[in-house]
Amino acid sequence: MTLSLVAQAVLSGVTNGVIYALIGMGLAVIFKGSRAINAAQGEFSLIGAVASVFAMKAAGFSYPAAFAVGALAGAATGVLIDLLLVRPMIRRRAQEDAFLLLTIGIAFAISAAVLFFAGRDYFTLPSIGSDGVAILFDATIRYHAIWVIVITALIVIALRAFYRKTNIGLSMMAASIDADGASTTGINVDLMRTATYGMGGLLGALAGLLVAPLVPISFYMGLVFTLKGFCAAMIGGLTNPMGAIVGGLMLGLLESLAIVFIASAYKDVVALTVLIVIMILVPHGILGRAGRAGG
Amino acid sequence: MNRRVLFAIAILVWAVLPMVLPRHFTDLLVFAAIYSVAGLGVGLLLGHCGIVTLAQSAFYAIGAYASAIVTVNLKLPMIVGVAAGLVTSGVIALALGWPVLRLRGYFLAVATLALAMIASALFFEWDWLTGGTIGLGGIPKLGAFGVVLDTPQSFYYAAWITAALSMILVHNLVSGRTGLAMRSMRDAIDAARVLAIDIHSLRVQMFVLCAMLGSLSGSLFAHYTGYVSVASFSIDKAILFLLIPVIGGAGSIAGIIVGALFITFVPEVLSKIGDFHGIVFGLALVIVVIAAPHGIVGTVERWWHNRRSGVSPTAEARR
Repeated sequence: MTLSLVAQAVLSGVTNGVIYALIGMGLAVIFKGSRAINAAQGEFSLIGAVASVFAMKAAGFSYPAAFAVGALAGAATGVLIDLLLVRPMIRRRAQEDAFLLLTIGIAFAISAAVLFFAGRDYFTLPSIGSDGVAILFDATIRYHAIWVIVITALIVIALRAFYRKTNIGLSMMAASIDADGASTTGINVDLMRTATYGMGGLLGALAGLLVAPLVPISFYMGLVFTLKGFCAAMIGGLTNPMGAIVGGLMLGLLESLAIVFIASAYKDVVALTVLIVIMILVPHGILGRAGRAGG
Repeated sequence: MNRRVLFAIAILVWAVLPMVLPRHFTDLLVFAAIYSVAGLGVGLLLGHCGIVTLAQSAFYAIGAYASAIVTVNLKLPMIVGVAAGLVTSGVIALALGWPVLRLRGYFLAVATLALAMIASALFFEWDWLTGGTIGLGGIPKLGAFGVVLDTPQSFYYAAWITAALSMILVHNLVSGRTGLAMRSMRDAIDAARVLAIDIHSLRVQMFVLCAMLGSLSGSLFAHYTGYVSVASFSIDKAILFLLIPVIGGAGSIAGIIVGALFITFVPEVLSKIGDFHGIVFGLALVIVVIAAPHGIVGTVERWWHNRRSGVSPTAEARR
């Protein structure tokens, strides 16, 4: 076991970890805002990446414009899911398992739609910055991966500021903490939930856009993204979106250590086992507070 | 017309169908029977315990692999393969269900999804056992006393009789004390506790039964197709098995049959457009959950019942 191998594992673990963190934050934002687990969270990443690839290839957009198209596509999908599907369910006062079945159906339909309209291809986006690599402690890291880490850090800071400083962010928080109280102060709770789904979609799409240059994206990957993001969010505590950062980094590092010490084939097995164990033993996450719904 | 006559006509139609239908449709009906057994287990958990399980594809695979390995590699009789599948999946469901069923709601569903994904990764990696993507072939056709069921027409009867026996078993179970205990646990968990119902143990028992039905379904599948590989046991299968009770209706046997027919015939109808059925399945799930939460059969039953008893449908919906 050389030092450079460990350094390599740490670098790739951190890179994967921030992606998981982004997906996990999207899940946690939606959970906080609507008390529902969105099984279609990983599909937002799929939509973001595929929309952006098509904007570049078919419509001839520049990379930054295509990136924006992908991010908007994710946010728009989130908004549409709330307006068209979640709203009628809330009006009916549907149970928790109905919401779960709903988002499973959405995930399945989106994945199948990508397969039908875009095919079995793997979609990749160009790197941000250059294609080269940096050398750090004898290990290599792609410039794009460094950008991923920097951009994620910026997203996290922006998200925190959004929820703490802006009017709409504070209203979204209020609506999620106490819907009745929020509506007496004139907050449109339904609108805030729509905004929450849009935010979840945006975060999911950003994760897809950032990961696509590193790992080509295909139609079946949404579910794996969802589970990895869920694992990150669970480790950090589902009611605390910032906890997903810690959870994502831990999961990423654990996975890359599993690759070094066990075998790369068992990476997902290790991650999913950790997810189950965490849910049973540490249901509020290592940073989370009490208040999780569903036991 | 009384119920008995209706039932006799249904049996007659069922018996005549494979003789008049083209071979291809009989083949689809066989798959509907096989899938309905797995879907029955999922429906039992969903309809009576309020548990969403996505792990059924794993137990279905265990049954199929057990039948394949026992009959092909060990050259033992088929019944041993079926039994090996039932025992293996029962034991695994017990060992995993005991800790995992402490979870509730979303978290339980996600845990079963994680279990299914772990299982499919292991089936892929343990190719010394499962044959991986190459699979295991040459599984003997079902047969006994010199009769070999090697055509869809003959397998049709065996598959549907197995399905019917499983459905009678589950029907008796949910009509009795256990069923009452399950429904009280689903609808009023505190009341169930007060009545000394051991909630956790009951949930684990039902999970084990669901897994064994999945395994039986997998064994039928292995003996029908004669070939199994990891491609048959992906997450899509878990969602398919979940669709059966959700679309048809988890509360009744008729619902399970309608659901199983739906998932086998819809891809066939849509096959001309290409791989379109995935989208239809996803949307069907979404639409049923929003518009007909009791499934097709459950919704029709309620509508019929309300029409006859004069309750307006809106009053029912508000309930």
